[in-house]
Amino acid sequence: MSSAADAHRRRRRVESPAEQTFADLLNGFSLDSGRKRTRGASPVPEREATPVAPQEEKPVFEPSVPESPDASIVRAYAWTGGRTRSNINLEIETLVSANDQSRQSAGILQAEHQHVVELCRSPRSVAEVAALMRLPLGVVKVLLGDMAERGLVDVHQTASAGGVAPDLGLMERVLSGLRRL
Amino acid sequence: MDYVGSRFPDFGPPGPPGRELTSAKIVVAGGFGVGKSTFIRTIVENDLLTMTALPPERAGLVTELVRIQFGRVWLDPGLALHLFVAPQWQDPRAGWNDVVRGAVGAVVLFDVMRPADSVDAMRYFEDHRIPYVLALNNVHASVRSDVKAIIRGMGIAPEVPVVNCDPRVRLSVRETLISLAEHAKLDRWRRRPGPDETTPLAPVC
Repeated sequence: MSSAADAHRRRRRVESPAEQTFADLLNGFSLDSGRKRTRGASPVPEREATPVAPQEEKPVFEPSVPESPDASIVRAYAWTGGRTRSNINLEIETLVSANDQSRQSAGILQAEHQHVVELCRSPRSVAEVAALMRLPLGVVKVLLGDMAERGLVDVHQTASAGGVAPDLGLMERVLSGLRRL
Repeated sequence: MDYVGSRFPDFGPPGPPGRELTSAKIVVAGGFGVGKSTFIRTIVENDLLTMTALPPERAGLVTELVRIQFGRVWLDPGLALHLFVAPQWQDPRAGWNDVVRGAVGAVVLFDVMRPADSVDAMRYFEDHRIPYVLALNNVHASVRSDVKAIIRGMGIAPEVPVVNCDPRVRLSVRETLISLAEHAKLDRWRRRPGPDETTPLAPVC
């Protein structure tokens, strides 16, 4: 990271302390921070010059040689269009499962979506999908968010959506579940 | 690439398909080598999975991924409980917020020989008002009450349960989780009106 970018960030923090939440502050440090702020003045670091995936659906050709994990991560960020946020609120423990629509259209989905559909034949959490696909959490959240918006996966209710502590009913359910283990 | 199966059996919910599903999580924290992974493995009876996340302050560097281990167990036909190992404390914010936000509560495994890491974790949970239990990693019965007295003397809230736990023993892990769930339930009940909820935690991408 260049010092110019850091300075720019610091300035932003000082400029609007009131309207910035802790979340905004942390998100300012996320992968696409440079991209968001190019309009300002800060130079774009070379690292973030990842090619952005085109919007229209294109078949993804799997290379025959095995990729290094880093290469696949970079590619993954490319097909999320460099985004690190999703419109759908997914916690790491949120369960997703494939539905009839995704099973029927499995043949025409892009490769990553197909992998998700295969994985989620039985319900999986966001964390499990990330672990089993060996992709960073942020990428998987964007991927699953896109798929949910297109109706390809069902997102199940999470007990504590939005960071609020789980309610008493769920606490009771957890307790009696643990007692049965 | 074969993502499916291998290493992680396909154990779906025991209930009929189409049933409403939900999930909850518990965080297991503590110093290095105190038995966090063992604790989880003992109760989920499966290999743990490892998820990666980019810590916020190093997000530009793809190589600096935080690894977060976890396991999952179905508590009833519609409820999946996830148990996450809190990432090491050296990098306090790295991956913690995503793991901790909305958790039922936390188990802090406490190694009497190396208390510092556990104390940091306890402080974090107290600051974020996340209910936790302190699980003494297999302290011998003869000194248990002394150790508990010392820990109480460190100034943790009196309602925080302090239990003895052997992370290798299923019954012991189960008891620890039950005491956490009881404490968390009570804690939630006490704060029913909740005028100011927990500080919202930012997602880590």
